[in-house]
Amino acid sequence: MEQFFQQLINGIMIGSTYAVVALGFGLIFSVMRVVNLAHPEIFMVGAYVAFVVITRLHVPGQGLGVSVAVGVFLLVLVLAMVVTGVVGLVLERLVVRPTRGTYILTPFIATSGVSIVLQNGAQRVFGPDPVRVPSVIPAHTFVVSGVRVTSMQITTVLTAVLIMLALRYYVYRTRWGRATRAVAEKPDVAAACGVNVNLVSQLTVSIASIMAGAAGVTLGLLYSSAAPFMGLLFGLKSFVCMLVAGNRYIEAIMAVGLLLGVVEAMVTGYVSSNLRDAVAFALLLAVLFFRPQGLFGSYEV
Amino acid sequence: MNALLQVKGLEVTYGPVRAVKGIDLEVPKGEIRAILGANGAGKSSIIRAIMGLVKSRRGTLTLADRELQRLPPHMVNQLGIAWVPEGRQIFSTLTVHENLLMGAFGQRHAQEVRARQEQIMELFPILKARQAQLGGSLSGGEQQMLAIGRALMSNPVLLLMDEPSLGLAPRVVQYLFDLTREIRARGISILMAEQNARQALRVADYAYLLEVGEIRDSGPARDMEASERVRQVYLGG
Repeated sequence: MEQFFQQLINGIMIGSTYAVVALGFGLIFSVMRVVNLAHPEIFMVGAYVAFVVITRLHVPGQGLGVSVAVGVFLLVLVLAMVVTGVVGLVLERLVVRPTRGTYILTPFIATSGVSIVLQNGAQRVFGPDPVRVPSVIPAHTFVVSGVRVTSMQITTVLTAVLIMLALRYYVYRTRWGRATRAVAEKPDVAAACGVNVNLVSQLTVSIASIMAGAAGVTLGLLYSSAAPFMGLLFGLKSFVCMLVAGNRYIEAIMAVGLLLGVVEAMVTGYVSSNLRDAVAFALLLAVLFFRPQGLFGSYEV
Repeated sequence: MNALLQVKGLEVTYGPVRAVKGIDLEVPKGEIRAILGANGAGKSSIIRAIMGLVKSRRGTLTLADRELQRLPPHMVNQLGIAWVPEGRQIFSTLTVHENLLMGAFGQRHAQEVRARQEQIMELFPILKARQAQLGGSLSGGEQQMLAIGRALMSNPVLLLMDEPSLGLAPRVVQYLFDLTREIRARGISILMAEQNARQALRVADYAYLLEVGEIRDSGPARDMEASERVRQVYLGG
């Protein structure tokens, strides 16, 4: 039984990060009908920003008081979010907006070009091997009824949950969030209601990128590493989450992200860790076969 | 002559197809004008072109001396033109209340927006009753009222209505067209594209007959009702 709860906790933790990245994918796709293949690389940029900031600050790995550690973590997070937000803005202006609305493969190809540029850029600057991201949060393992949870794992989940709550608030309770939903459904009508669709486009890509950047920081800290190709597998699985959930409800993407994390953890724990990465694709195949619009429905493309 | 909306030499093309072949029309302040014509005549294209939603168009469009043709739709809206699209096109994943708020997106003053929402809910009590419901759960007639209410939320000087009667029961259509008189009485001019010539001519002051992208005839509504061509083709003899 302990094993079950342990895997459940592990699963929720990684699943919450899948959810955050998948939400970014989903946001961009549902608002702009664009698959942003550079999104996972923005996640990678977040991790590298954490690496740069922490090593520049010469943060001592241990021995920091909790409040200082949290302060440093937040600083790193904010800086990463600013950088990835700006990267998102540039990406939107130069790549997404010009290719939006045309043949659906055009932005697909254009953004995959950007992702290659970012991957190679990271390789050039930081080298092809993973770099070690020093930890910031003092390492501490909590044991509850035989289940082990580390402080960094808690930080990861907490960050993910706060981001998702913030996104939900934005989408459902703010004027621009409402406009974003309107543009996702009917951009022409939204424009005729006075919504500057280009501005919504910029906002959306920035927000999605900021989210990916934050996820990159937490994952970089969790695994104490950043690598040029870390976005690949992670991004692919997040993309699968978006496809499986459908792009209609953000709660659906959150749920599928968590589900994927948990199922992967269970498969790793009970069956074989070699099968972990296959879970996502098995799930995708099953859903595409039986319900191609996603489990919870999608807007028409 | 100072019409509120002036359209000169409007051409709309979709790829190789010329949907609108150089037309002139105008809407004076305080009038309801109708564009009549069959399906595919180009009526929607004219409405969409005025709203700035069509990529390829030529000609000049002016609203009270402001040129519109280079403006994106959200600026056309901010200048005072609101659109009631063909087929309602309400935001089905937003509530009735949120749909109305979207109509007022370009408006700054929260107080005024609230006041206007109250007015519109008085005009359409059914919307008040269904405020918290998702737009997608409304009936066709209710959605049309919501679409009109949404357009009125921006306090427009000109309302563009695209086929308001489409897909609606006769009694609802009657009610909606009576409503347009009410809207005109509040100082809002209306340009409507409509296949239902009978209802349109009942409320309009002036009408244009559009066929295959060209204006074949135009005149005061009474004259158009009496015209042979209109009678035969659109009013069933």
